[in-house]
Amino acid sequence: MSLTLLLEKYDVSTEEGLQKALNEIEKEECEVDEALSSALSRACTLEGRLRSASQAYSKLGEVKNDAQVAADMVDKTAGLARDVSAKVRQLDLARSRVAECQRRVHDLIDLRVCSAGVEAAIKAQDYETAAGHVSRFLSMEPGSVAAARARGPDPRTDMDAAARTLRDQLRIKFEEAAKIEDDASVERLFRLFPEIGRAEEGVELLTGYLAAQLEASLRRAGQSRSGGAVFADTLTRALETAAAAVERLRRLLPPSRHMLLVQGLRALQPTVCSSVRRIWSELSPRPRPRPPHDKPDPLRLEPALSELALALSRMQLYFNFLRRRPEHDASLTDDARRESVRAIDRIIAECDMTLTAQEHLAHYLELERYFLEESVNKAMKLSAASCDDPGSSLVDDVFYITRKVIRRAISTGSVDGMCAVMNEAGAQLERAARALRRGLAVTPHDVLPLAPPRSTPAPAPPEAELYLAHLAEAEAGAEWTERLATEACSEAEAAARASAGACDKLRSCAAGLSGAAASFRAVTELGVSSLRAALLPAVTAWGDALVDPDSDVDELAEEAGALPAALDTLAEALRGRLASAGDLLLTGVLDDLLTRAHRTLLKNTYDRRGGLATERRCRRVSLWAGTGAPAAREKARALSAAAALLALERLEHAPDALPPAALTPAAARDVLARRSDFKLEDIKRLKL
Amino acid sequence: MEDYKFLFKVVLVGNAGVGKTCLVRRFTQGLFPPGQGATIGVDFMIKTVEVDGEKVKLQIWDTAGQERFRSITQSYYRSAHALILVYDISCQPTFDCLPDWLREIEEYANNKVLRILVGNKTDREDREIPRHIGEDFAQRHGMYFLETSAKEAENVERLFMEIAVELMEQAKCKELPKYDGSLGPINGKTSSDSSCCLRS
Repeated sequence: MSLTLLLEKYDVSTEEGLQKALNEIEKEECEVDEALSSALSRACTLEGRLRSASQAYSKLGEVKNDAQVAADMVDKTAGLARDVSAKVRQLDLARSRVAECQRRVHDLIDLRVCSAGVEAAIKAQDYETAAGHVSRFLSMEPGSVAAARARGPDPRTDMDAAARTLRDQLRIKFEEAAKIEDDASVERLFRLFPEIGRAEEGVELLTGYLAAQLEASLRRAGQSRSGGAVFADTLTRALETAAAAVERLRRLLPPSRHMLLVQGLRALQPTVCSSVRRIWSELSPRPRPRPPHDKPDPLRLEPALSELALALSRMQLYFNFLRRRPEHDASLTDDARRESVRAIDRIIAECDMTLTAQEHLAHYLELERYFLEESVNKAMKLSAASCDDPGSSLVDDVFYITRKVIRRAISTGSVDGMCAVMNEAGAQLERAARALRRGLAVTPHDVLPLAPPRSTPAPAPPEAELYLAHLAEAEAGAEWTERLATEACSEAEAAARASAGACDKLRSCAAGLSGAAASFRAVTELGVSSLRAALLPAVTAWGDALVDPDSDVDELAEEAGALPAALDTLAEALRGRLASAGDLLLTGVLDDLLTRAHRTLLKNTYDRRGGLATERRCRRVSLWAGTGAPAAREKARALSAAAALLALERLEHAPDALPPAALTPAAARDVLARRSDFKLEDIKRLKL
Repeated sequence: MEDYKFLFKVVLVGNAGVGKTCLVRRFTQGLFPPGQGATIGVDFMIKTVEVDGEKVKLQIWDTAGQERFRSITQSYYRSAHALILVYDISCQPTFDCLPDWLREIEEYANNKVLRILVGNKTDREDREIPRHIGEDFAQRHGMYFLETSAKEAENVERLFMEIAVELMEQAKCKELPKYDGSLGPINGKTSSDSSCCLRS
């Protein structure tokens, strides 16, 4: 605190003030002393640190000098290393030059040997040696040849002349060997062409030879006609011969020259195509039905269809065989293999055999459609004619026919063929479904044995059996068609080894078959609801009788069992004739009956006697329904509970008599109100 | 399961080289591939479009125009919801063949199928069939009519979208449930008074 502040703060005119100021000053003096002594105590450590710092500095200088020395040494080493590597490079260059020189020397020596040897070898007809010389000459560095030229006469002139002579000789010898069909010489000579740098020419000669041989063997194959399926057999033999020729060509070709195979195939294919076309036009079975005048029995067309399908599959097989050839060459790179496959695909797409196969497929499909339509027509006629015979087999027949036709189409291996036949099969199945719908349109009287109460069922008319048979057929048709669609789709995909697009196509066409299954299901539903409607009068009468308040006690036991017995008769009639449609119908009938009974119950009035009788009948029905569908069971339980309320001795017993959750309190009150002897106010007061 | 409410099959027919494949490729892929080879058999492509906020899947079947594929292509008529009959406006023979195609449609297709006549290649300078001739033909035979250019992408989108709208309306009228594999007949409005609805 400064003196001025002190003077301001304390009144120094008084002693007391002075004393206070003095005290303050003394206090501050003490503080200053303390601060000074602590500063002084730190001075020692500071000095120590300064000393050690100066020592460290002097040491750093030494380290710096050492580092400098090390850096200089590294620099020097680097310079040395650079020198060494430059020398190594020089050495390497020198070594490669020496190697080059050696190769040239060898080339020059070989060149002399080749020039001298080739003529002699040709003269001695030792074509292997001659070709070896030419091959050696062709593999020489152009530099070596140029060097030889600079030193003397141009060796190329001699060698080129020798190569030409050799080539001419090889051609002549090849043609001679080809003329006498000396396979061994042909193959030996063919192998020499790539050596003299004329692989393409060799392939041309070889494919010419193979084509001529193929032509002859195809003619032979086309002439030997025996057995039943002449066309398919002849075509198979021809394609087998062609495949053998292709395989022979592939074996003879030098490895990794994939385009030579393509060239060879391109040259061989026209011969195969013309042969296939000839066999197709001369031998293929061509029944061409011309409705309405010329309508052969479809059964008579079956052999022709099988043969056409077989021939189609053979052509597909041959195309697949060609496509797979490049896969057998392990030396090919992926790109080269893809290129070969593309080239082969192009050959297949452009060749006449593809056209023949397409025409063939069209003919097959036309005939298959006729077969399918006529067979289904026949089945329909038979079904219509055998009206009196309850064992209708329309769906059975149509299903059998369509499955056979689809399987045959799958055997062709043609995705478009399979799709087209699946489409046609779907159309025919829908036609069968429509025919069944017509058959189920009119429900005959007394088709099922459910007579009104106190009467015996009339005997079923003959058309009743047929009606039920049709319904059973529709039911089976839906199931079979669904199965057929799944089966056809998986079999077709497996048979065609199809691409993703083709699989989509197959699946979409198989979905058309599922469409036919939906039609069958709709027909089944129609039949079931028609039958339900036909039974409705009897069902209504039974529903009323079930809750009839005026019953004779003497007949009670017999009466209570009447409805379950009638329902048993109905169930028995359905069992064995219908599968799930029977259950569906029975559930429907029971539902109609219980609904009617409940409605009537709420309109009647009961005394205790009537209530007891009703309760007994309803209990029996509830027991009967206990084994049925859950919905009907619940309804029967509710009706039984309602009837139990009607049978009460005293109103107060109602809460105990009511099974849990069977009726709502409001519904229970409505039922209780039907008892003439229960008072409304009491019912309202009742706690349920 | 893919998310769509309706699935319709649309089949394109007509002579070889009238541009059926190009129309399909233009609509489904937005491409015009020149120098296209002839279609072999039948090809199919799918495009899902949206109509009134509802997804409609169009399954478009592109058929080969050449005679030898007829028995394959005919089998697709029955299940088609719409048939597009295409001719080339610069090539009289493709127009002259239309009655033959119609006979085939009568024979094999559902009689209530939606039928559309399309004159393609309006980008060509050498038109041979005037627009009104095509229109008259369509009207006479109770078909919708439209001229398109797959090359210039003219009316292609419109063609398929109008088909989708029309088929959806029909399906809704019949209250067809979600596609369940069944391709029941669809109420086709083929009377001549409605054929003007696609006209520009």
